[in-house]
Amino acid sequence: MKIENKELTWLPFVALLRREIKRFLKVIVQTLVSPLISSFLYLLVFGVSLGSKIQLESNIPYMSFLIPGLMMMGLINNAFQNSSSSVVTSKFSGDLEDIRVAPITNHQILWAMAIGSVVRGGLVAIITYIVGSIFVCFSQGQFLAIAHPLITLCFLVLGGLIFGLIGIAIAFWARTFDQLSAFSAFILLPLTYLGGVFISIRELHPFWQKVSEMNPLLYLINGLRYGILGLSDVDLTHSFAISLVGLVVFYLVAQWSLRNGSFQRW
Amino acid sequence: MIPLKITDLKKQYKSPRGESFEALKGVSFEIHPGEIFALLGPNGAGKTTLISTITTLEKPTAGVVEVFGTDVVKNPRYTKSCLGVVHQEVINTGFFSVEEILDFQSGFHGVKFNKERLDYLMHKLALYEHREKKVKQLSGGMKRRLMIAKALVHNPKLLLLDEPTAGVDVSLRETLWDFVRELQKEGMSILLTTHYLEEAEELCERVAIIHRGEIKALGATKEVVAQFSQKKMVLTLNADSPLNSKYLLKQEKNNYEFMVPTEMTFGELVESLRLSPALIKDVKIEEGRLEDAFMKVIDGGVR
Repeated sequence: MKIENKELTWLPFVALLRREIKRFLKVIVQTLVSPLISSFLYLLVFGVSLGSKIQLESNIPYMSFLIPGLMMMGLINNAFQNSSSSVVTSKFSGDLEDIRVAPITNHQILWAMAIGSVVRGGLVAIITYIVGSIFVCFSQGQFLAIAHPLITLCFLVLGGLIFGLIGIAIAFWARTFDQLSAFSAFILLPLTYLGGVFISIRELHPFWQKVSEMNPLLYLINGLRYGILGLSDVDLTHSFAISLVGLVVFYLVAQWSLRNGSFQRW
Repeated sequence: MIPLKITDLKKQYKSPRGESFEALKGVSFEIHPGEIFALLGPNGAGKTTLISTITTLEKPTAGVVEVFGTDVVKNPRYTKSCLGVVHQEVINTGFFSVEEILDFQSGFHGVKFNKERLDYLMHKLALYEHREKKVKQLSGGMKRRLMIAKALVHNPKLLLLDEPTAGVDVSLRETLWDFVRELQKEGMSILLTTHYLEEAEELCERVAIIHRGEIKALGATKEVVAQFSQKKMVLTLNADSPLNSKYLLKQEKNNYEFMVPTEMTFGELVESLRLSPALIKDVKIEEGRLEDAFMKVIDGGVR
């Protein structure tokens, strides 16, 4: 490889990452404020109103149980939204071709966009945690402590990267807005709701437990739950291993989509 | 080193129904260092496809494109860092201001601390006072100028201009051409596609005429004009006299209009008419234009 300019190794990546972050900050109401309101409502309805009537096996208050689930749900939804809508709006306005014409590699594109997704998803997760903590503080008199900060961080990054990459894969492949929203509505939404955000799968019928175990989201949600609460439905190493495999698989899928998908304007 | 060398480039598009369409049928040409080269052709001739293969937006079906001696397929990162492109269609970035767009563009091309260059370009292209506006707030002409500024942030050695003056008013067009000349003086090599033949004639040392994916004519602008166009000579005689010549186009009273090959001189015409010079009252000569050459090539006069 003959690259005269050493700056090309990092600068295009940094520029794209900055662009991704700046983009969602420009539409902050849609990207950060609206998730804040929806997690507030979830906590109010499920946590406060229904939560008092729910008794979990593990004796953890339902509100505390719910918080990591909502954090992961906010994280993956926003990570997916960030990369996919960035690519799709760029396809619409035509500036995706600018990226193709610039001396930037596919790996740089993937990492910059996926990390941009982690940042937005991570911010939403942190906001959800803070709002949830305030609720917990009101009902139990103390803030929700994080049991294992490193494990928490690890699963936040994994979840953000995986769904950022899925967003890229779908958006490059998609030829219409419909295909994109079909993925959100028919795949992403059911998987999150059935992945143990609101329920402990131990409360389910054994058959449905088996079905839930096939849901890859279960492992991300329970990994994060272990990080925050110190216990979860699924073994930690199990969660970790499956999430890592997910990361590798979706990285390859996103790479394939980038190579074969279209940069062209709609 | 040769800025751009294209060898036997072919591009085939396949429609979903399986029909294939050959947009480029073996195109070859090269651009000399520091020249402005024009690629002329009617709509759908393959100009944009050609530009897209140089920028790697499209992969060639066959053939080689080399930018400064490097194959664009084999080392796209190097070739792209030497290239600046102004696309035919105006790109509309919804989220960012003019200044931010140029800043990101610098980053994409690996240029750090580029404020000086960006300020220079914005002043030069009269965008400075609009630098905080978003693209949709700009007028058509400003959008065009933004596209050009974007292509120049990294000071490329080869600039590709895909119909940069389509839909641009006369005065702005003049300013843009002056700017292009200035860039050439700084040592940039420029490939230009355009519909405005007059300007290609004025700006470019060499031209190629492309039609249905094939290069039909290629060479120094003057030679192409000479080869494919004719000169018009109008003679006004003192008296009405019967003239017989295969070059005679029409006669109005004592005005005689001739179409002659470009290389033919006035003296040769007079000699062929066996006309006494004393009879000639006035002469008007109109040189052939690129437009005539272009029309002749496109109409199938050249095979």
